[in-house]
Amino acid sequence: MSEKKTIIGTHISKQFDQELEDIRERVLQMGGLVEEQFGRVMTALMDGDADQAALVAAEDYKINQFEMEIDEECVLILARRQPTASDLRLVVAVTKCIRDLERIGDETERMARMIQNSIEIESPENYYKGFLAAGESIRKLLQSTLDCFARMDVMSAVKQMREAYIIDREFHSMTKQLVDRMKKDPESITSALDMMWATRCLEKVGDHCVNILENVVYSVKGQDVRHQHLDEVEETVKQS
Amino acid sequence: MTTDVDKHNLEKRRAHIKKRYKAERRFRSFGIAAVSFGLLCVVILFTDIIGKGMGAFRQTYVQMEMTFDANTLGITDANDQAQVKGANFGGLVKKNLRDAYPQYKTRKDKKALYGIVSSEIGLILRDDLLANPEKLGTTETIWLLADDDIDMHYKYALGTDKQVGRISELQKNIVDELHAAGKVEKRFNRLFFTNAASREPELAGIKGALMGSFLTLIVTLILSFPIGIATAIYLEEFAPKNKITDFIEVNINNLAAVPSIIFGLLGLAIFINFFGVPRSVPLVGGLVLALMTLPTIIISSRAAIKAVPPSIREAAYGMGASKMQTVTHHVLPLAMPGMLTGTIIGMAQALGETAPLLMIGMVAFIVDVPSSITDSATVLPVQIFLWADSPERAFIERTSAAIMVLLAFLIVMNSFAVWLRKKLERRW
Amino acid sequence: MNMSEHTQQNEHKTEGTPLLDDPRMSTRGVDVFYGDKQAIFNVDLDIGKNQVLAMIGPSGCGKSTFLRCLNRMNDTIDICKVTGSISLDGEDIYDRKIDVVELRARVGMVFQKPNPFPKSIYENVAYGPRIHGLVDHKVDLDEIVEKSLVRCGLWKEVRDRLDQPATGLSGGQQQRLCIARAIAINPEVVLMDEPCSALDPIATATVEELISELSERFTISIVTHSMQQAARVSQRTAYFHLGKLIEVGDTDQIFTNPTHQLTEEYITGRIG
Repeated sequence: MSEKKTIIGTHISKQFDQELEDIRERVLQMGGLVEEQFGRVMTALMDGDADQAALVAAEDYKINQFEMEIDEECVLILARRQPTASDLRLVVAVTKCIRDLERIGDETERMARMIQNSIEIESPENYYKGFLAAGESIRKLLQSTLDCFARMDVMSAVKQMREAYIIDREFHSMTKQLVDRMKKDPESITSALDMMWATRCLEKVGDHCVNILENVVYSVKGQDVRHQHLDEVEETVKQS
Repeated sequence: MTTDVDKHNLEKRRAHIKKRYKAERRFRSFGIAAVSFGLLCVVILFTDIIGKGMGAFRQTYVQMEMTFDANTLGITDANDQAQVKGANFGGLVKKNLRDAYPQYKTRKDKKALYGIVSSEIGLILRDDLLANPEKLGTTETIWLLADDDIDMHYKYALGTDKQVGRISELQKNIVDELHAAGKVEKRFNRLFFTNAASREPELAGIKGALMGSFLTLIVTLILSFPIGIATAIYLEEFAPKNKITDFIEVNINNLAAVPSIIFGLLGLAIFINFFGVPRSVPLVGGLVLALMTLPTIIISSRAAIKAVPPSIREAAYGMGASKMQTVTHHVLPLAMPGMLTGTIIGMAQALGETAPLLMIGMVAFIVDVPSSITDSATVLPVQIFLWADSPERAFIERTSAAIMVLLAFLIVMNSFAVWLRKKLERRW
Repeated sequence: MNMSEHTQQNEHKTEGTPLLDDPRMSTRGVDVFYGDKQAIFNVDLDIGKNQVLAMIGPSGCGKSTFLRCLNRMNDTIDICKVTGSISLDGEDIYDRKIDVVELRARVGMVFQKPNPFPKSIYENVAYGPRIHGLVDHKVDLDEIVEKSLVRCGLWKEVRDRLDQPATGLSGGQQQRLCIARAIAINPEVVLMDEPCSALDPIATATVEELISELSERFTISIVTHSMQQAARVSQRTAYFHLGKLIEVGDTDQIFTNPTHQLTEEYITGRIG
């Protein structure tokens, strides 16, 4: 599967190789940053550290900057090289992935703000137990997604899609729990609503991860697998 | 470190540049010297020829009283052509001369006196009387063509002690006398352009040779142009590329380098001895010259056809034109200027050719102007060759004059070739 | 039987969809030899009606040679030999019965370098109808000339100087004139051999636009070195490599997701 990487490096124009390699690396750096931000939010919640959460929220601009820079590079590649086939797919996939990464960043920022609020209200700790567990799953998903992108590994991309599907179902039960709590203890509605929003954010991060995985499949296989059943996707990936 | 190397390289380069410019200058000066030398030679040649030849365009005439005396002529009726043709015009001229200069009594003096005018003057008078029979018995003052020796003397030695031509003291005196009386003058030499060859220089003209050249060239052109162009087209466009066509190509190129006298021998052997074509006629001359010019025409025509861009042919084929249509509609019009130029240069070459014509008898002395391709004739360069061989001083003059005429024709033909090329040449 | 042996020797399978239903032209098992050297190996390819088929591939891959087989332009080269079958509307064009002159009237050609005849603009366009005897009267000829020039978008530019030499036109105009000249005889197929390679980008754009318009009436097959051009003007693209037809498919697919490794490498600029 590292075959893809070597293929990038075989253009007649070494400059072009460099440019493609460059955007790919920048995407990974951006992914790293997004992952780190996400992790810090979770830690902040665990430690009840509102300042840390505020700090994470304040640092989202870095991710936005990454997105803009990579976007510009992609536009330049399109203008200069008129890439075709796998190169074109890679560039297009990158522009889409960075948008998803930026959205993940935005969701992380939103979560950070809500967590900051929740901590300040001093909600009981067991409130966060389910959320933290879900957060951990999503963090792992995000990590694996970035891995898949780094290695352009379609097989594990499909595996992660399945994983995301399972995590997604957990959110339903989480939402239900929160609603139950609000019913029992009307006073907690404010903080519970915050948690509700935070949960929505987590769910969206998961969705963005799936988008990135789909783009990995598009980039490698040239097949658009959005809005397809997972079994079909797996079928497509296994071809050739 | 690098700066030292740079500096070193810079110095080396500068020194080398100087050397290069020097070599360039040297080469240019060699070129200029060579061209100047060539030009100088041409100038010397031309001034020599023109200096020698210009005189031939003027001819000396002497004035005298001429009485068409019927008794001396021995005729009774000037309207009877047979009588006039048989009349004694020589005697008439002599009598009139005797009457004009009664002081010369001795036989020797009389002979010198008769030598003042052209020995063939009687023929001119005869033609005059034939045209105007009423002149019989009348006396008129007419200008008579002077003898070539008198002509030479009058042109180059009048009033000096120089001896030009075979002229006696007595004749010199007569010329001086005539000159003092205004009875001798130089006129434009019309006869040079209207007469054929003659033993008498004053009567010799180039018309016969010019006509001979013209007829010969017509034959050459009619034969070599279509054959040459057809051959070129066939070889270039239609012939398969194989050993046979290669062989033919090599031989055509070789033929162009064969000495022209060989073509004369060939003509003698084939046209005259085998086919029985009469000797000395423009037909056989044209045949031989056609053989000689064919390689030139074929080679230049092939070059012209090759120069037609293949894209034009492709375009025509792509439109569904047949091979023949492609050639006639596109290749030929584009190659024509080159072909015509080659043909004209070949013709110019043929016009100046002597050697092969010597072999087929066109070197004969022919007094009549040829009127068809089967009349005996000579050509301009051969005429020049013949005159250059003649001992009379006046023929030297005429040789140069004929060379001038030949050169003029060559220049006209070559300019025509250049003009034609400019006119027909198309850009694509 | 010799044929099949030969095919065995150079066995390879063309990826994608080389064959179509109801094609305008189709080739089966075409081999082309220049002397002893084989330039094209066993090409099966259909050209659809009113479609633009682009042929791409590195230099010397045989795409031009193949194109020239389609109207037998290779006949003019002595050492060139074509085997297999090529048919136009189901008729074998290498059949003894087929007259090559008539074939070229049905399959026109436009060349790499604009090559108008060194005659007037009018004469250039009128040449085809004239030699094929398509018209009896000057009026009809005038009409054909005008129609062809209008179709190539050249009429407005040259209407006032029809009698002037075609060589005085700009490169792009000359190439459009060559196209007008080719379509004046109303061919079924127009072959174009790198028609824009000698033109500047603006002239290229006008010619490309023209190709798209012409494809409504004519079947067009174009050889090009510019992959962007192939992507812009064609509906199907065929990729040749070392005399073999590697892959044929819809242009959209070839340029986003080619099947064969060689196609991918060529169009992404990995082999020249």
